[in-house]
Amino acid sequence: MTIKIAVVQFPGANCDLDAIHVLNNVIGVETSLVWHNHFKEAEFDGVILPGGFSFGDYLRAGIIAAHSPALDEARIMLKDGRPILGICNGFQILTEAEFLPGALLQNDSLKFVCKWINIRVENNNTPFTRKMKNGDVLDIPIAHGEGRYFTDNLKELEENQQIVFKYSDENGKYTQKANPNGSMENIAGICNLERNCMGLMPHPERASEAILSPKCTTHGKLFFDSMVEFIKRRS
Amino acid sequence: MPKVKVNGDELKVDLTEPEVKWIKNTLERDPSITELGMFDVMWSEHCSYKSSRPKLKLFEDAEKNYDYVLAGPGQDAGVIDIGEGYALAFRIESHNHPSAIEPYHGAATGIGGIIRDVLCMGVRPIALLDPLRFGPLKNNPHSQWLFKYVVKGIADYGNCTGIPTIGGEVEFDKSFEGNCLVNVACIGLGSIEDFRHAPSRASNPGDYIILMGGSTGRDGIHGVTFASRTLTDMSEADRPAVQIGDPFTKKMIIEATIEAIKTGYVRGLKDLGGGGISCALSELTGDGGTGAKIKMRKIFTREPGMTSYEIMLSESQERMAFIVKPEGLEKILEIFRKFEMAHAVIGRTDDSKVLKIYDSDNLVVSLPSIALSESPIIDRDEKRPGILDGLISQKTPEPSSNLEELIYKLIASENICSKEWIYRQYDHEVGVRSVVKCGTGDSGVLRIIGTNKFLASSVGTNSKHCFLEPYEGAKGGLVEVCGNVIANGARPKAMVNCCNFGNPEVPESFWYFANSVRGMADFCKELRIPVVGGNVSFYNEDEVSKTAVKPAPVIMIVGIIDGVENIITLPFKNAGNDVLIIGETNNELGGSEYHSVMYDIEGGIPPKVDEKKIKARWDFIFELYEKIMIKANHDVNKGGFIISIAEMCFKNNLGADLDLNGYNNKNLRDDKLLFSESVGRFIIETDPKDFEEIKVLAEKYNVTAKKLGVLIKKPEINIKGLKSQDIKLDIDKMKDLYDSTIPNLMDI
Repeated sequence: MTIKIAVVQFPGANCDLDAIHVLNNVIGVETSLVWHNHFKEAEFDGVILPGGFSFGDYLRAGIIAAHSPALDEARIMLKDGRPILGICNGFQILTEAEFLPGALLQNDSLKFVCKWINIRVENNNTPFTRKMKNGDVLDIPIAHGEGRYFTDNLKELEENQQIVFKYSDENGKYTQKANPNGSMENIAGICNLERNCMGLMPHPERASEAILSPKCTTHGKLFFDSMVEFIKRRS
Repeated sequence: MPKVKVNGDELKVDLTEPEVKWIKNTLERDPSITELGMFDVMWSEHCSYKSSRPKLKLFEDAEKNYDYVLAGPGQDAGVIDIGEGYALAFRIESHNHPSAIEPYHGAATGIGGIIRDVLCMGVRPIALLDPLRFGPLKNNPHSQWLFKYVVKGIADYGNCTGIPTIGGEVEFDKSFEGNCLVNVACIGLGSIEDFRHAPSRASNPGDYIILMGGSTGRDGIHGVTFASRTLTDMSEADRPAVQIGDPFTKKMIIEATIEAIKTGYVRGLKDLGGGGISCALSELTGDGGTGAKIKMRKIFTREPGMTSYEIMLSESQERMAFIVKPEGLEKILEIFRKFEMAHAVIGRTDDSKVLKIYDSDNLVVSLPSIALSESPIIDRDEKRPGILDGLISQKTPEPSSNLEELIYKLIASENICSKEWIYRQYDHEVGVRSVVKCGTGDSGVLRIIGTNKFLASSVGTNSKHCFLEPYEGAKGGLVEVCGNVIANGARPKAMVNCCNFGNPEVPESFWYFANSVRGMADFCKELRIPVVGGNVSFYNEDEVSKTAVKPAPVIMIVGIIDGVENIITLPFKNAGNDVLIIGETNNELGGSEYHSVMYDIEGGIPPKVDEKKIKARWDFIFELYEKIMIKANHDVNKGGFIISIAEMCFKNNLGADLDLNGYNNKNLRDDKLLFSESVGRFIIETDPKDFEEIKVLAEKYNVTAKKLGVLIKKPEINIKGLKSQDIKLDIDKMKDLYDSTIPNLMDI
C-alpha cells in the first residue's frame, strides 16, 4: 500500500519545506504540502503540523492557527486514531487547540534559543517513538522563544505516561542545566491519552541527516520511521 | 537645509540650489510638491550615490570580466552562476541611522529590506549574516541597550521569516557609541532560469503594474534623506521616520512572490525600499525604457486622508511591485488571493517614456522616466588626517604584567570573546542546510540540496586597522574574510561590500572612503575576485562629539566548496597531530586588540598586505586540501595566533605543546610576536606523517609553514622558545573567560 502524509502549511510556517524534504527524500514516503484552508483529512493517513511562526505568532504562539479549518479536519483524525505530530509551533498549536494538555510559555531566559540539546525517551509506546527504547538519549536541535512547558495537571500526565521526552544531559540525567527553557520537569514532548497525537519542541526534521548533526547522528529519522511503520501496521 | 520656491510655496529640501535649478530647467516648469519630494529622495546620497559613484568606478566591471557573474553592481543584488543550473544572489546593506535611533525596529527593517533585495532577483532567500558595531559594553548602558535590541530585532525578524542567520561579526569601539553600525546581508538561491524570468525592469509596454504586500502608511516618509544627514539630538524627534517591520507579512511575500515567479507571467519585479513607490516605478520604467500611467488612489493606504506626497514617498515596509504580462494577470492575482496578501493593480506600462501619476483625475506627477536616475555627481575633496603620523609612530609600552595574564585578559575582551550570546538567539538551522554552524567554523557553510556543492560565507572588516591606514586596512579586511571561507575549504567566488564612513563633505572622512575603495579594488583585481555589488553609508558621525565612526568597509565573501569531503572545520581533532602556522608574524601591533585592551592606545604600525604572498599561501592551502592533509583550519585574527590556537582547543578539550624557536625570524619582542595582527595567517592541524611533504610544498610555494608543536590530551597550552619566559595556559580557564564576558555584561 502507499501511505500518504500531509504537512499542513499555515501562513507563517517555516519548517514546512524542511519536513517535506525529510519525508520525501530521506524517509521516502509520499508527503504533500497542503495549504491550511485546503487540507482535507480523508486523503491522508497521518498529518504533521510543522514549526514556524503561524500567523506571525501574533496574539500568542499557535493560537490563531488553532482556529484554522485544518484543525477541524485534524480533529477527525484525532478521533479515529490516525497519527498527528506537532513540531515546535505545531506543538504550540496542538496545546492551543486542546488536542494536548498544558501550555508553552516564554523561555525562562526570556530569549529565543537555538542549539543542539539532548532529550531522553520516556515512552516508546507511541506511534512516533516505537523505533526508540525508553531511556535512549537523542541528539536533536531546538529553536524557539516559547517552549517552557507548563501544566497544572502534572500528576495525571505522569500517571498516564503522557510525557514522551524530557530534556537531559548526554548521559540521560535530568539536570537544570540540560533544561534549555525552564520547562516543568524538563518536559520536551507529550502525547494525548490515546497516544496518537504528540507534540514536542525539538525539531526531528533537522536531525534526520548525519551531515546536519554535530555528532553525525540521525536520531530525528526515528520519529518519522516510527510514524510510517505505525501507519503501515494500522491498515 | 536650503529652501526653494516652487509654485509660490517655500519648501525645505535637502536638494542643493543648482540641483533645483537643473530640475526646473529640464522640466521647463516648476515641479509639483510631489515631484520635488521624489527628486529630493532619489537624489539623496543614500539613493543616488552622488559622492561615492566616481570612486566606485574603480571596481572592475564584474559582468564583463568574469563569465560566471550574472548580475553585477547597480542591481538589487549581485548574482553568480555556481554551476548545475543554480544561481546565488547576495547583497549587503547598512541600516545604521534607524538602528541608532530605534535599535529593535531599525535592525528588523534592515533585515526586511535586504531580504526584498535578494527576493526581487527571483530567488529564495536562504541565509542572513549581520556585521554589527557598537560602543564598548562595559559600564555603558546605552551601548548595552543598542546591542540587546539590535540582536533581538534581527532574531525576531529573521527567525520568523524562516531564513537562518548563519554568521556575523561584531566590533566594539568607542567611535561607534553614538552611531552604531548595523549591516545586514542576505544570500538567495534559485535556478538560473528563475533569475532570468524576472529582471528589475519594465521593458514591455502594456504590462500590468501590481503593488502587493503591506499597506502604505505615513511611516518612514523621507527616511532616505534622514539617512543622508548626520545624527543630532534632533534625531530623536525623527523617530517616526523609522519604519516598523512585519516579518509575518514578509514571510507571506516571500512565498507569494516565489509562487508567482514560477508561473512565468512575472516580467519584472522590484522591492519598495528607500524612496518608496516613486523610486521603484522610476527605476522600473527608467531602466526598461518605458513609461507608465499610475492611478495613485488604487494604492491601499493604512490611514485615510494621505496626500499624494505622502503616498508616493512613504517607505512603509513589506511591499513589492510586480510587472505582469496581460495574459497572466488573473493567475497572479489568484496566487496573491491564496496567500491573503493585499494587492492592487495600480496601472500599466506604456511606450511614452514618461511616468505619469494621477490623483483621481489630477495629474500630479509627469516626469521623464530617466530624469530621476540622472542624479548629479559630486567630486569630493580628500585629505589625509594630520593626526595619523603621530598615531602610527606610537610605541608599544613594555608589557605591564606576565604574558599569561595578558593572554587571559585578551581572550576575555569584548572584541575577542565568544559571540554565542548573539547566535544562540538566531535560528541558524532552519532550512535544513546548515552544515558548519555558528561557533564551529570561521564562516557559515550551507549545503545546496540536490548537488554536492556547499556555499560558505563570511562578513567583516577591521575598523581599527582601517582607521590607521584605510588602503591596507580594507585589503586586510578582504584577506581576513576570504581567509574565513578558505579555512572552511571554500574558494572565494565573489565579494560585495558595505562602506560605512563619516560625512563625505569632510575631506578627511572622504579620504578614508576613497582609499578603502582603492584598497578593495586593487586587491580584488589581483586575486581575481569579482565585486558584484555594494552599498555606501555616509554621515556616520556623532554631532555631539564631532567624531566620525572608525572607517568600516565591511566585506562579504561567498565561496563554494565542491564535495562534502572538502569541508574543513575549526576545532582541533586528535592529540598527537601537528600544529602549524602558515605565514609570518611581523611587527604590526597598530590598531591591535593588545594595544587597545592593555594600554588604551589606538596607534602603532598597522598590518600591510602583500597580495603575492597571500595568493601563494592560498594556493598552498588548497594543494594541502587536495591532498587531504588538513584536519582543522582557523585563520588568525584579533589578538594574534595564540588566541586562534586556544579557540581550536576548546571544542574537543585538547591542549598543545608549542615551541616558538625558529619562528621569530623578525626577532620581535615576545608581546609583539604573540599579539601582532599580521593578516593572512592560518593555524592548521596536520598528521605528523605528512610533515615532510608539507615542508616540500611550502618551499615550492615559497610560503612560511612552521611547525609550532603537537596537540596533547591535557587541556593546557605550553609555550617554549620565547625570550622572557615559558608560558603555561589553562584551557578550561581560557574557555571560561571566553564564554562569560558577554553574558556577564548582558544577563543581569
